[in-house]
Amino acid sequence: MARTTTTRTPEVGVRRVLVGGIGYRFLRDESVGPYMADTLGERAPEGVEVEDFGYHPVGLHQNLTDREAYDRLVIVAAPRRGRAPGTITTYQWDRVLPSPEEIQVRVSEAVTGVIDLDGLLVVVGALGGFPDDVVVIEVEPGEEGWGDSFSELIASRLPAIEEAVWTSTLP
Amino acid sequence: MSTFTELPIDLGDDGRASLKDGPDPWAYETKELHPIEDTPEKLAKLLERDGQVRRVDFDPVTRVAGALAFHTVVDLESRQVLETDSMATLFRGYEIILKGRDPRDAIFISSRACGVCGGVHATTSALALEMAFGIQPPPMGTVARNLLLSLEYLYDHPLHLFLLAGPDFSEPAVRSTNPELWSKAQDTPAAGKAKHGFNTVAEIMTGMTPLTGSLYAEALHMTRVAREAYVLIGGKYPHPQTVVPGGISATIDASDMNEIMLRIGKFFDYGQKVVAIWDDIVEFFYEANPQYRHIGTRPKNLIETGQWDDPYAYDGTYANVDSWARQRWSTPGVIVEGKLVTTAMTAVNMGLEEFVEHSFYEEWTGNGKGPRGAQFPEDPLGNPLSPYHPWNKDTIPKPGSTSWKEKYSWSTAPRWDRKAMETGPFSRMWVTALSPPNDKTKFIEPTGHSLRMNVPGGALPKATVEWHVPEIWGAFERNRARANAILYTALIAYDNLLMGLDMMRKGETAVSTSYKVPKDFRMGAGFWGAGRGSLTHHLTMDDGVLENYQILTPSTWMASPKDPWGNPGPYEEAVLATPLLENFEKPEDFKGIDVLRTIRSFDPCMPCTTHIHTDDRVITREVITCACGVDDGSDHNHAHA
Repeated sequence: MARTTTTRTPEVGVRRVLVGGIGYRFLRDESVGPYMADTLGERAPEGVEVEDFGYHPVGLHQNLTDREAYDRLVIVAAPRRGRAPGTITTYQWDRVLPSPEEIQVRVSEAVTGVIDLDGLLVVVGALGGFPDDVVVIEVEPGEEGWGDSFSELIASRLPAIEEAVWTSTLP
Repeated sequence: MSTFTELPIDLGDDGRASLKDGPDPWAYETKELHPIEDTPEKLAKLLERDGQVRRVDFDPVTRVAGALAFHTVVDLESRQVLETDSMATLFRGYEIILKGRDPRDAIFISSRACGVCGGVHATTSALALEMAFGIQPPPMGTVARNLLLSLEYLYDHPLHLFLLAGPDFSEPAVRSTNPELWSKAQDTPAAGKAKHGFNTVAEIMTGMTPLTGSLYAEALHMTRVAREAYVLIGGKYPHPQTVVPGGISATIDASDMNEIMLRIGKFFDYGQKVVAIWDDIVEFFYEANPQYRHIGTRPKNLIETGQWDDPYAYDGTYANVDSWARQRWSTPGVIVEGKLVTTAMTAVNMGLEEFVEHSFYEEWTGNGKGPRGAQFPEDPLGNPLSPYHPWNKDTIPKPGSTSWKEKYSWSTAPRWDRKAMETGPFSRMWVTALSPPNDKTKFIEPTGHSLRMNVPGGALPKATVEWHVPEIWGAFERNRARANAILYTALIAYDNLLMGLDMMRKGETAVSTSYKVPKDFRMGAGFWGAGRGSLTHHLTMDDGVLENYQILTPSTWMASPKDPWGNPGPYEEAVLATPLLENFEKPEDFKGIDVLRTIRSFDPCMPCTTHIHTDDRVITREVITCACGVDDGSDHNHAHA
């Protein structure tokens, strides 16, 4: 299941934020999400947990509904949207869900192994587990293909991506 | 019936096989396909029928992980399916990735072949490696593997029955495709109320409604129960971290066993409930219209490699494979036209071939000295092997444009004795039902025509639930069998838990054995199963690395394109035989529910096939029959107005 890399346990009364990276591994620039999940935990400030969301969203829904509610969820992913490579887009998820038929399609994909940001938002949004406050950070990938290294461009953007994550965790 | 009727193999009573004489015994003649859309005269004649003949593509290629598309030509006036083509649209290529690697990598890499049931690939790979390395796990290691397999199925079957196939039988689907059935369902009392609590069949259908239905929600929950138990041994799901050659790398204590027992126990009640639900659904449709028995029908040709090893019989060797495989909880075997023709694992293996006449691969012609250049003309026991057998196969991709006449799929055409076979939870139950009982009948009794399952009590009282070999084999019976398979699986898991606890009492707690990767030439095969049917891995290795690795999945068997003789694969064959019972007035209202129920009854392991119809939006594209856009290499998803 999800790998929690956080080393700190928030104290009672501290604002709780969960940062999740989503995506497949070994897909070069498209693996920014898992990379962030792997690397940010050690530097997470108090009250911030970091997790790998790279598993099926029905499981994420089940895990989140079991826990005490977070104040905010921050999701990092690198979906290909046609923007300039390296573009970092941060937005508040609008909680708008598609038709029930489309949601069912996404649930079906989720339980048969599909891992992607849009599916996660729809499935967990529909089945439950999100706090009211969900922030998404998208990074436009550059190079496509197999491998465990980033393109030079995305590698140079990693500090900015991390900064966007920490900024998004602030009240 | 002799074991092989099409292959040039004589099989003696002693189980030893020999190749029949002849200059080229494995030769075959191919038959040219004549698809309707390639035949102008037929096409013109059909088009005269005022829009009643339509090409209907069930094509989800636009989705993220689409891997199967299904093309049909249907005559909506006579309500017949005229032509079918099953297309696997993705090349996965694990066979190529694995070549030249350390064999131990195969467990973790092959697991990634599937996002639903990766763990079964890991174990199948471990079995193949054990055969190649000459090792075997200690008994508790085998018990642990059996539990992992069971828990995968207890995840997989509810998921399929209520999240993937179930929506086709839900209130919204029935109301929109056969409203007369919805009215009838409201007036039909549910016979299984004592087990499931629903008053009418309509209430069951409402419960199966995606997202809001109680049965849908309950299935989601039960998948979690199975996963929770799975990770106690596997570490994570669906790609376990603890499966290794020679057993597993996790320790198991009594606490783990109790945690698993607690969760397995929940499936006794749930399994009884699910059987009652599907009995009510199936019988309702049959009573409403007996033609429903023929939705998705095809010959009773099934293959089963057997699963769940006897921890004291399994020795990992090919030399003894017939003996230890017969001691499995699920017996290996092949059923042809309803008759069990063998339970010998060597015969099951010997009959395997894969053909690529209509697949995007090149024919492989080995440089070996065997017939037709076969690298391995015989298996390790000296039985003849076809040049088209997985041990002789080479994966050579040859991408190209889609042509119904030539090549149209990334799936190969697997055949046993040159016949199309299906496999699934039903094949493991069916072969076991027809086989002589072994000593694994503590909770499950094969009768020759059924399986009697003695279910311990929970909230529901203890009961004997009997699954009967169906008279007519079709989509509804596939789903009913899968519902029974929850109990079948839970009882096998229970038996293994009891066996494991007994081993603990005796101090037999070792779960793995040590080994060295051999440097000489070795062959290995893993014969195991996935939720949706039999799964095999065949490998050869030399100098410590893999020379060849071949994965034959259940969905490859069933999504198969036509074979060299023009015979359809199981999906194609079943859809071709399906009557169209959907209620629609205008051709443009046709949703294809009977076709979808047919394909989904096989539990295809391809995310795209899980897409239920969404009116006229993404996945069901209806176009008037035309010959354009098929053979020209253009995107076959393109819809023609």
